[in-house]
Amino acid sequence: MATFSAITSVIFAPSLKPSLSNNVIAERTSNLKMAIGGWRKNRFPSLKTNRFCVSCSAKPETVQKVCEIVRRQLALPAETELTSESKFSALGADSLDTVEIVMSLEEEFGIGVEEENSQNITTVQEAADLIEKLVEKKAA
Amino acid sequence: MFSFVSKRLSLMMMTKVCCFQRNFSSALPPLVPVKLPSKMETHFWYVLPDEVKSESLLSQYSELLSPREKKNLYHMQGDQFKKSALLARVLVRTTIARYQTNCQVNPRSLKFKKTIYGKPEVDWENGDKWCPPPLHFNISHTSSLVACGVTVNVPIGIDVEEKQRRLKNKILAFAKRYFSPDEVKLLTAISDPEIQRQELIKLWTLKEAYVKAVGRGFSAAPFNTFTIRARVVKMGGFHHFDTQHSEASEIVVESSDDPENLTRNWQFALLDLAGSHYAAICIEKENSAGGEAGVPMRLTVWKTIPFVEDERVSGTGAVVPISGLIKQL
Repeated sequence: MATFSAITSVIFAPSLKPSLSNNVIAERTSNLKMAIGGWRKNRFPSLKTNRFCVSCSAKPETVQKVCEIVRRQLALPAETELTSESKFSALGADSLDTVEIVMSLEEEFGIGVEEENSQNITTVQEAADLIEKLVEKKAA
Repeated sequence: MFSFVSKRLSLMMMTKVCCFQRNFSSALPPLVPVKLPSKMETHFWYVLPDEVKSESLLSQYSELLSPREKKNLYHMQGDQFKKSALLARVLVRTTIARYQTNCQVNPRSLKFKKTIYGKPEVDWENGDKWCPPPLHFNISHTSSLVACGVTVNVPIGIDVEEKQRRLKNKILAFAKRYFSPDEVKLLTAISDPEIQRQELIKLWTLKEAYVKAVGRGFSAAPFNTFTIRARVVKMGGFHHFDTQHSEASEIVVESSDDPENLTRNWQFALLDLAGSHYAAICIEKENSAGGEAGVPMRLTVWKTIPFVEDERVSGTGAVVPISGLIKQL
């Protein structure tokens, strides 16, 4: 990841937003690929799979709680399958739903989510991981 | 001269190929072309999913999607939601294709990409300088309405929301979390909870439309760093508005965070659409050096079923201006 950041900051320094935190890199990867045009696929390491390797250990209770909140917000019928990999957008969440989910999660876990991060919560797992990170930070 | 000839030839060939493909790849009729909006105009197209009942038509629609779009659709849960998601892709593809009056474009062949900030745009990939128009678009949809706004030369953002939308969270708690202090003040002053809810939803659509028009993502313009409000503008001179009163309300945005945006002029319209939705439109005024105050947004609205029919509804009961300076065409 460090190498990747170095490459992109060299090439894009003037125009790239400085907010290339770990959370954002994988999101931006595909955008950057398209924006550059000339890059070949194999130039970029595949980051998406190991984006959250440091925190793919979110407690099952956390994931469960997130699922409950998502299910309630989206009024999902009982038969709708909801797993940690479920994407909010695929469940029918629009932007208003997403911010409501974030707000409910903040209240439930006693944390505050920055706008930057809330934009990047797209699955149940991502939400759970971020929550645990924030809870830990708060406890520290 | 020869390069001109060869360009013409390749353009003609491409036209032929496009038409050839279209006639043989599906039983859909050819798209009816549409004239681009002029520089000062906004076009707004919407589809009501409930009016699209034919299964065979829906199946033909799905053939227009790219592999990635098909895959996304496949993973979606909920029939209503899936249908409106399909119609959103079909609406944007067919609408953009219809504006290409110089060369007939197959809506299926359009490619999309995202800007570095994640805003979708058309990927006019080929080297042929057939000069695609400086067309801007933005889409928004709920499970019961799908919309696409189009402008030329200036960015556009739209948002649609069901009028009956209820929040799961408490209204003021939500506003305090996400809106600016001035907006919270305004909402707090409303005593009727139903009116308060409606005003919140209207404000939400306006703020979404603004962020989408700016095109830098939610985090570049956090909702609580800008205030959107209506201010009364005295009508005078030669502008005709869609209002009986001598005063019209103009919607303005004030940013506490980003001085750069303060110097640009963003124009808003808020509509009651089809009796069921609030629709907010935000475009950048072309003349950003102070721009003339009180110039209305020239707006044409169509209700459509792609490949089947268009109905111009601007000026009818289907489009009721709520605020913003609007001139319906």
